[in-house]
Amino acid sequence: MRRLTPDTAHALAAEYVLGTLRGRARNRFEALAREDRDLAGVVRRWEAGLTPLAGRIAPVDPPARVWRAIESRLAPRSSRAASDSWWRGLALISGGLASVLIAAFLWLAAGPPDDALFVAVLTGPDAAPRMVVSMHEPDLMRVRMVKPWSGTQGKSLELWVLPASGVPRSLGLVPNARGDTLIRVATTDARVQGINALAISLEPAGGSPSGLPTGPVLCSGVVAPVKKA
Amino acid sequence: MSVDPAQARLAGLLARSALGDRGAFAELYRAAGAKLFAVSLRIVRERPLAEEALQDGFVNIWNHASDYAQAKSAPMTWMTAIVRNRSLDIIRRTREEPDIDEELTANLADEAASPAREAQDRAEAHSLQRCLGELDAEQRQTIALAFFHGLSHSELAEHLRRPLGTVKTHVRRGLLKLKDCLMRAGVAASEGR
Repeated sequence: MRRLTPDTAHALAAEYVLGTLRGRARNRFEALAREDRDLAGVVRRWEAGLTPLAGRIAPVDPPARVWRAIESRLAPRSSRAASDSWWRGLALISGGLASVLIAAFLWLAAGPPDDALFVAVLTGPDAAPRMVVSMHEPDLMRVRMVKPWSGTQGKSLELWVLPASGVPRSLGLVPNARGDTLIRVATTDARVQGINALAISLEPAGGSPSGLPTGPVLCSGVVAPVKKA
Repeated sequence: MSVDPAQARLAGLLARSALGDRGAFAELYRAAGAKLFAVSLRIVRERPLAEEALQDGFVNIWNHASDYAQAKSAPMTWMTAIVRNRSLDIIRRTREEPDIDEELTANLADEAASPAREAQDRAEAHSLQRCLGELDAEQRQTIALAFFHGLSHSELAEHLRRPLGTVKTHVRRGLLKLKDCLMRAGVAASEGR
């Protein structure tokens, strides 16, 4: 495909963002920008340039049905009433108590539950367990891969702590292979404070370039405290 | 990008949404929904259509939340672009007579070079306001009409009672001037390719 000259790229991107680029031209341009990273960059710069205009528009509250409709479209799989708390929802999806029991079983199979401070079963979209993560000692987290992923060549798996509030925090990369990975992290470490759940995302080789998850979530699970025996 | 705490909060909510956190997504909606609804409402004009645009827009935001980290935009900019695009799609199939908010458009012309108001205290908004002030009045009005109301070239021509060619020239030259000015101001919007 012929590349646009910089001037044409800018002119088209500007009218695309402004909205005056219409009809087939708009569709064609959109298709071009999907293929061409540079062109997509020009579009983003025009968005950054023009959208502050929208800051002067006074907000208008949408009716409550809009959010209900959005929510229903996010969860076509679940027939349960939408839960306010995602954590609760996730616990239900991943089998709640059952997964804690599975975790406990796996844990016991691996040895006595010494100082395990928490355990989490990370399940994929099909609810199949993929990993069991446990705080083995006050300064050691064990990541047990139950079922590795295929087709992830050239990518890395990154483990994230999802705190009760705030942004996800990375605990680093995890090899995509059956077996245990030990991560040295203390229960007092800032990264695990307020830990609510854990998730694995698929990232470019070497991990997220931005420090926040960028790829799809492969599995996730809530953290269940495990009392000392 | 500035470290506006409101924007940082939205960025955090987007990151959590990317990981499937519905609670964070609900919070994102509560924080941005009314603003984006208003943006859409001006373009599509009818509430049922704006509701549709907002709904589709937020489903898109949820589905593409993991792309956000690569977008290198302010979260509100990124989300506004999604909802505006959806709104523009919708009017392509429904639009009849556009109804113009003369006041908003006129305000833009009058206050283009005025000091910041509360909603525009970010550097980018400052630069944009100042740069809009450098356009001649007709260019500015044309661009504002297109941005706020999603008017096409021919709708602009009709509304402004100007020949189509003139309107197209106003838009093109206005945007070109805007680009040069924003580039001088160092706004990321207009770095060269």
